[in-house]
Amino acid sequence: MRRTVDTLAPLLGPALVVVLFAVIASQTVNAADDVKFRTAIVSVAIVVALYVFIGNSGVLSFGQISFVAVGGFAAGLMTVPSDVKPGVLPDLFPLLRDHSISNAWSLVLAAALGGVFALVVGVPLMRLSGLAAGIATFAVLGITYNILTYWTRIGPGATTLTLIPVTTDYVQATIGALAVIAIAFAYQRSRWGRQLRATREDPAAAQAAGIDVHRQRLGAFVLSGALSGFAGGLLVHLPPGSITTNQVYLDLTFLTLAMLVVGGVHSLWGAVVGALGVSLVNILLQNGENGIDVFGWNITLPQGSSLVGVSIVMLAVLLLRPGGLTGGREFGLPRSLRGRQAGPEPPAPAPEAGV
Amino acid sequence: MPEPLLVVEGLDVRYGPVSAVRGLGLEVHRGEIVGLIGPNGAGKTTTLHALMGLQAAQAGEVRLEGRPIRGLHPEAIARLGLGLVPEGRRIYADFTVAENLQLGIVGRGDRPGVEEDLAWIHELFPVVREFRDRPAGALSGGQQQQLAIARALAAGPRVLLLDEPSLGLAPKLVDTLFEALVQIRDRGVGVLLVEQRAQRTVALAARTHVLSNGAVSLTLAPSDAGDTDRLIAAYLA
Amino acid sequence: MTHVQALIDAIGLGAVYALIAVGIGLVFGVLRIINFAYGQLIMIAAYMLVFTQGWGDVIAILIAVAAAVFASLVMDRAVFRPLRNTSPATVLVATFAVSYLLQNLALLRYTYQNRPVGDSVGVLGGLNQAADIGSLHIRWITFVAIGTGAVALGTIALLLNRTSIGLQMRAAAADFHTARMVGVRANTVIMAAVAISGVLAALSAVILTVQSPQVTNTTGLSETIFVLIGVVVGGMTSLVAATLGGFLIGFANSFLGYELATQGSTSQTAVPFTSGVYLPSVIFVLVIIVLLLRPDGLFVRRGRAPVERV
Repeated sequence: MRRTVDTLAPLLGPALVVVLFAVIASQTVNAADDVKFRTAIVSVAIVVALYVFIGNSGVLSFGQISFVAVGGFAAGLMTVPSDVKPGVLPDLFPLLRDHSISNAWSLVLAAALGGVFALVVGVPLMRLSGLAAGIATFAVLGITYNILTYWTRIGPGATTLTLIPVTTDYVQATIGALAVIAIAFAYQRSRWGRQLRATREDPAAAQAAGIDVHRQRLGAFVLSGALSGFAGGLLVHLPPGSITTNQVYLDLTFLTLAMLVVGGVHSLWGAVVGALGVSLVNILLQNGENGIDVFGWNITLPQGSSLVGVSIVMLAVLLLRPGGLTGGREFGLPRSLRGRQAGPEPPAPAPEAGV
Repeated sequence: MPEPLLVVEGLDVRYGPVSAVRGLGLEVHRGEIVGLIGPNGAGKTTTLHALMGLQAAQAGEVRLEGRPIRGLHPEAIARLGLGLVPEGRRIYADFTVAENLQLGIVGRGDRPGVEEDLAWIHELFPVVREFRDRPAGALSGGQQQQLAIARALAAGPRVLLLDEPSLGLAPKLVDTLFEALVQIRDRGVGVLLVEQRAQRTVALAARTHVLSNGAVSLTLAPSDAGDTDRLIAAYLA
Repeated sequence: MTHVQALIDAIGLGAVYALIAVGIGLVFGVLRIINFAYGQLIMIAAYMLVFTQGWGDVIAILIAVAAAVFASLVMDRAVFRPLRNTSPATVLVATFAVSYLLQNLALLRYTYQNRPVGDSVGVLGGLNQAADIGSLHIRWITFVAIGTGAVALGTIALLLNRTSIGLQMRAAAADFHTARMVGVRANTVIMAAVAISGVLAALSAVILTVQSPQVTNTTGLSETIFVLIGVVVGGMTSLVAATLGGFLIGFANSFLGYELATQGSTSQTAVPFTSGVYLPSVIFVLVIIVLLLRPDGLFVRRGRAPVERV
């Protein structure tokens, strides 16, 4: 029994924290802030999806948000009721324009599209590492943003996609996040996950041991893409039921990447901690922009201070704890799962811009 | 005997939990060659790197002309008069020979006499003048070794550290190298020579320390150079 | 607009991007850091030009240079130095954070005072007018950009190849460890590289603000992103390769933009890549192709990897 708890702790810990977060928020938070806390839970899903690739492979990818975008827009578009769609989006391909699907199916579609897109992109790109991989994946983000913003046959283009049903409540957000966490955990405990982690530490040695680096990276990339797409589907169904391409581009890429690095890029626990932690700081500061009472003093921060504050917090964490808040450790165990020494990740300047 | 130029006492160097050098002590005086030999992994390179400030030492004292230098940055130590010819030479292959030499002069700091030193260096290693505008990578192994030493000498060091300079050199070139070391010694520079060629080192140096598992196990005199049994025993200790 | 005109304009943009590339490449060379916040140095210089309106062009430019150099040195001391031995990803995210911090601090200028975003710059404004040479209609600033680029690049080449500090910087970039061993002062070469990159940022700001006199909190951002891409495509291990990469992406951006705009479709629902609005996608696809074929850089000899910073 003890053994089972030990091995499952890295899963149960983050999962319980998310559930607790959701329960507390749903009971105590007022209606105005509701959205922000639900968004925080969805960001857990996005950051964990990010971690599945970056954390396990050690390859920095700036393109994962393009899968969130693709999944989100697809799910959003296909759930806009088909009676109003042709009116607001007349240029769409007929297949897209005249049909709509249920929320549940839209999430499946989002995951599927995210995965397929990642496969198409990943086959050529997974041969790259370091700086080249970073730039190439950034290019994918740029292409996705560009096409989504201008091709009105597949989406709203530069305008806001609205009239999306708001179906992501606390329950759905939490279940979605838990599903992503569970899959991420299962992957990193699986044979493929372990093989990929081996390539992270020493690609040459791993290859010599017979591990197919390209294939393992591709596998994680596709999984990450599917999970990101799914998270995009959750994202798009949050209030106010609309989405623009700017919301799934540079700002979100920076924010989610920073959440991951601040939490600790090498662990699932780090992804969850980073997402929730940074979200909380963000919410606190955003509320400060609307005026809050601190010990009887009314403080109103100017607009935009929340991003300043989040950046400062992130810099502070990085300067004080470069390994992230969790130092790359998983939840709970005194000994690391992988049989290495517990403790902060040793600083290791790698020859490439890897993680 | 005048004050030694370089004094090392109780040097400890650790890589994490692994101890590479334990309680090392030695001295180098003006105009003498001190040898440091031992099997691979004994800690010879670590010692030189620690003296030069390239590797942190956890304990011990290192004094250069009486000045404590442990913990200083490498560039500060170079400017105080310690020079290193590292293993593998580490010359800048894409820069010209002249530029490589010029880099050496950077480490002089305020030390006067650059003209005389350069003149002497060109006499000692004619290859430096011959190939001055060629990329250093075009030189042969032996010539690159000479350039590496020339570069270190350009800074006018009081003490010169050399890490296995004869590595990969043909026998005739080794002769040339050791002759150059004698000339450097005679000019008044203190030399600490780390080498694999035990016998030649023992014969040349005023004293040769045998480093084994991070500590000095034995000190040999030139008269021990012929005593093969003693040498082998020292290595295996 | 003719092809010749488009070509000259493209060279003009390439020149500015080349300046930015050198700034980024110098810092990468000695610090092995990709400073994502470089664009904010350009922004800071641009804002200095805003604040010194009416002080005289020369003084305004000098102040902008001083401000950019100062900001650059502060960035090094406050962010790069403490993170010297951490993973490249951590440093990159840290520079991201700095970039966002500075962008949003600048945004406060407008939200705090509750006014629309944007200030205008008047320095060297006259250069925004066009010269008519034969059938060509080219703005003076394009010539200034090309000229400034050439002079700046030439000066830096001289500095690197003919001075002691330049030699030390090159040595530090090629092998930092050995450079320190021969007496090169680490902090000196780093400060030199950081300061020069600040100067280049200011020069770029001056040229860019003539072409687009509106300064906002995102000034410098998109240029930096493109140049970063160009530098990686060109090859980060060599300053020359990086500069060529920066030039190339500026040139391509401008020239392809012209081609797409004139030859491409203008339909609202044009298929991707066939209309002017898809210029970024075209560039990005080309970038991916080049990276797949030459991951170490287009202008770098095969088999050379960046030297490890030990």
